[in-house]
Amino acid sequence: MVTNPCARRLRRVADDVLGYSLMDLYREAETDYSEYSQVAFLISCLALAEQAGHAFDTEPVTCAGPSFGGKTAVVYAGALAFPEMVLLVARLVRCEEQYFQVEHQDVVTQSIARTPWAALQEILRAMTEKDEWHDISCHIDDDFFMVSMRAASVDRFRKDVRAAGGLPLYTMRPPMHSAAFGPLRRKAEDEVFADFRFDDPRLPIIADSDGSVVRTADGVRAMLLDGFVRAVHWPRAVQSMKGLGVTKVYIAGPDSLFGRVRCTTRNFEVVPINLKTTFRSRSYAMT
Amino acid sequence: MWDEQFEILMRNHLPFLPADEELLPRLDLKEFGLDSLGVVDLLVSLESAYGIRLTDDILSMDTFATPAVLWDALSGIQNATVLGARNP
Repeated sequence: MVTNPCARRLRRVADDVLGYSLMDLYREAETDYSEYSQVAFLISCLALAEQAGHAFDTEPVTCAGPSFGGKTAVVYAGALAFPEMVLLVARLVRCEEQYFQVEHQDVVTQSIARTPWAALQEILRAMTEKDEWHDISCHIDDDFFMVSMRAASVDRFRKDVRAAGGLPLYTMRPPMHSAAFGPLRRKAEDEVFADFRFDDPRLPIIADSDGSVVRTADGVRAMLLDGFVRAVHWPRAVQSMKGLGVTKVYIAGPDSLFGRVRCTTRNFEVVPINLKTTFRSRSYAMT
Repeated sequence: MWDEQFEILMRNHLPFLPADEELLPRLDLKEFGLDSLGVVDLLVSLESAYGIRLTDDILSMDTFATPAVLWDALSGIQNATVLGARNP
């Protein structure tokens, strides 16, 4: 954000769009979910992707961006210009903050690792029997999930996961990716997306919810909106990329998760992109 | 104090800890690069290396806060395993 020339250029554009100094407010941001943090994440990912583009002698066959990363993929694929996406991100964050200040105040999302699908199903079945609401928000790997539930259910859920040999990680708020957030999807569509027009992507985008290949402007719009109400299913996205012939993926941006889980590493050669990375490739996807 | 195996495994999962810097008992592991996936990897490595399985309350991110806390947890399991083997 500070030293990378591409990031500095994008930051200046973002400052013009937002009407404030992104770096000043980003340094003071208290969460990864603030509009400052999310625009900064967008810039970092795009700057690294652009840097990667200069180092390659071939073109990517597709791109993907799980969860919030989908917005980066949309810009990278040329379906929305960067200044427009900066505005879209900022307005969506404000929209979500408004929504969750009033709705679902007791809902959180819990991440868990090393928990086999069958064990999770058993835990969720017990919750259903006790009439405790829950929804899988993110299927990251065969034994790695994020589950949304009411805060009152979390302690018991974490205990059950540990009893099954699993490892509860973090409890997150705001929650995301649940069918329960249909009203948020409608609010975002009416109040934010109505002001934006997407183009057909120049590069196919892999939808993170089901691995479908998005090739149209309407598809891009639907993919972003569906992110509010549909769970991320990364293994399906991985299978879809394999189906397109991808053998190598380059991870542009901070990667604390998707590029490192087994379903990614066992299917692809994974190359993290950072300021020191130089590389060449024949067939790759950008995530 | 922990053994050499533990020291090696810890350092393998702490990308921001220089090789010439001491692994202190109260080192904040998160600050030195042990993120959530790192915890999962480290957990599997420790279980494999020591032939144990972490369960129940020990399976918490709090267990991976510092080397001292983690080693105490491991030692407790190892001792329990030894006692269990002696008194089946």
